[in-house]
Amino acid sequence: MSMSDIRKIPLKEIDPLDETFSVNFMANLERLRSSIEKVGLIQSILIRKKHSRYQIVCGFRRVSVCQELGWNEIEARVIHQDEDDLRLFSMSLHDNLATRGFNSVEVAIALDRLVHHFRMDPPVVIGTFLPLFSLETSEKILNTYLSLVSMEDGMKRYIVQEEVSRSNIRRLASMTSEDRIAALSLLSVLKLGENRLREVLTLLEETAQRDHRTVREIIALREIQTVLGHQDLTPSQRTEKIKKVLLNLRYPRLHQLQETFETKRKELSLPGGLSLQHLAFFEDKGMKIEFQFETLEEYQSLVSSLSLLQEKEEFQEMLLSRRTSKKTT
Amino acid sequence: MKLSAHRAGLPGKVSEFYIVLLSACCRQEGARSGQDDRCTKDMTSFTFQRILIDEEAERDEATQILLRNLPAVPVERIQDKRPLIKRFSDLTDPLSEGKKVLLVTRFYGRRLKPCPGTSNHICCGYHVINAITNCPMDCSYCVLQTYLTNPLLTLYSNWDDMIGEIEDFLSLKPQALVRLGTGELSDSLALDPIFPLSQVLIPFFAERKNGILELKTKSEEVGQLLSLEHRNRTVVSWSLNPPRIIEEEEMGTASLEQRIGAARRCQEKGYLLGFHFDPIIYHEGWEKGYRETITSLFQQIDPRRVAWVSLGGFRYPPQLKAIAKERFSKTRIFLGELFPGKDAKFRYLKDIRVEMYQKMVGWLQQVDPTLFVYLCMESHEVWTQVFGWSPQNSSHLNHLFEKRLGTFLGSN
Repeated sequence: MSMSDIRKIPLKEIDPLDETFSVNFMANLERLRSSIEKVGLIQSILIRKKHSRYQIVCGFRRVSVCQELGWNEIEARVIHQDEDDLRLFSMSLHDNLATRGFNSVEVAIALDRLVHHFRMDPPVVIGTFLPLFSLETSEKILNTYLSLVSMEDGMKRYIVQEEVSRSNIRRLASMTSEDRIAALSLLSVLKLGENRLREVLTLLEETAQRDHRTVREIIALREIQTVLGHQDLTPSQRTEKIKKVLLNLRYPRLHQLQETFETKRKELSLPGGLSLQHLAFFEDKGMKIEFQFETLEEYQSLVSSLSLLQEKEEFQEMLLSRRTSKKTT
Repeated sequence: MKLSAHRAGLPGKVSEFYIVLLSACCRQEGARSGQDDRCTKDMTSFTFQRILIDEEAERDEATQILLRNLPAVPVERIQDKRPLIKRFSDLTDPLSEGKKVLLVTRFYGRRLKPCPGTSNHICCGYHVINAITNCPMDCSYCVLQTYLTNPLLTLYSNWDDMIGEIEDFLSLKPQALVRLGTGELSDSLALDPIFPLSQVLIPFFAERKNGILELKTKSEEVGQLLSLEHRNRTVVSWSLNPPRIIEEEEMGTASLEQRIGAARRCQEKGYLLGFHFDPIIYHEGWEKGYRETITSLFQQIDPRRVAWVSLGGFRYPPQLKAIAKERFSKTRIFLGELFPGKDAKFRYLKDIRVEMYQKMVGWLQQVDPTLFVYLCMESHEVWTQVFGWSPQNSSHLNHLFEKRLGTFLGSN
């Protein structure tokens, strides 16, 4: 590749809006700014003459920082203008990978550029460029990133900030744009890790599909909006409440059984330290009791409460109802 | 289509039986030109792109029958199927691609095993014969999606070994009445027009006192069965669901009407029938759907010659959901209230299952109160809630099957 020695190029002659070779998204310039301020520009940028100005091949962030710092010129190597675009794009990717890496949206932009701008065959992109990004060579992975490109900017920012996994990106990609916007309004006020995000998205998607509604209609439900309207909840508390609401919407029969059990349990007025639980998903008819104590007196008090429990009509009713088959006609 | 029957001089035990050879419409000199693919569709409703023949299987009569029945499908001989299986397994959707390719090979080892059933539940003591692995149909809920390591539609050509294994197995249980079936890892009849196992198995079981063959299917491929002497030793059974579920979740299968029609034709020839409402899918309108399915069924079928009816709520191992949703993006089968049970399989909430079973049993008993209805892979408690009683254990249930069959077999 033919390029000049390092020269000083006036910044006003460089076109920062020509993003042919840029895949930047949510560029974090703080550290770079601090570095340039302290020690100057360590590595020159790479540019190409295009018409009357210069096109940036490598160094968009450096140009941006230098402009902010009020520099007039910048050190650059100039590539011959006949150099192949795809080759230059590939060089730009390698340069960035070596220095800073890419977030998931930037990977998506890069892959999309290769497929749709440079019209590379997807199998070639899969075989040549996915490994560059330390990704497995799979059509599914390529398609996941391509779907990310067309998402709304707000959702892209969320995906980068929360480091959303590919499987959750696919879940978000399967939504319509309107549903995604509504989902973002919910997700952005919750404290979700990867598993909880998966759970919330699955609950939304399945409830919507089952009830022939959209995700945004589910989010607009009073039960969810009421929780979101509570300003005094912490994100964690809000997340727990929203999760509970979504579970109840998704599993109404289970919720009904839980409510009935809870009502009957309250009627027992159990002492603190004693808890009565149904078995998992009410699959078996039994119940289980757990009790906690620290002193002998506490233990004796709980044992006494247990003996009294068997005489309570409400407790006997609970046992009986767990045994009786409900014949339906 | 020409039918000819002769006592075939086949090696081993298979030589005892009549083999009915189906003449393909294109069975003539030079038919293997690959130019006319009508023959694939005439013989079977499925289309195959290739037949791969393991060189060890080439000389087996079953292989030759298949090749005569599919003269237009390109054939490739292979020596080692393992790299081929690996290549298919690396595809984006190996299961779909594998259904288009027939692999003919020999089976080494034991292929007759107890039905895997499930832990902590009552099972019926069924035994399964692995005659074909994988299925040309594609049901969204099929658990084969989760555990088949070989995605190719694999046909085992060493029928004599299979018969020998069944013979040895039955000889160990002379006093029992053992039920064996070929519908666990595949559909028992979907490929019968081109790989006519029925013509080997039905005559074999007809001459056995202690074995009952069950052919379980979602197809209407019963043509080969109708002229065979079965002596009540074969139960032909159909998995059933309402038309909406069949259309949405059971790709490549016969319609409900076609299945019932096929069942009727078998019943007219004296076959015992079985019906499996499994999986029962809880969905909007399920009651109407299943009630109407039962009504449609018994408008054409005499319940007095139905050996058994099974009910099984939709259940699945945890790994199925991701695979099925990937392959069937519009499936609605996972939208019910499904939770992990004691065997780690996901099932509907128990209250929902009991409700479904109670209603189904009620409708079936309205048809004929003497119908033998049982639950598949359910707990004592669910049995008791549905029927008011429960088999004590799996052996007890197996004994009830023997008793039921005894009423049809008499001194036969």
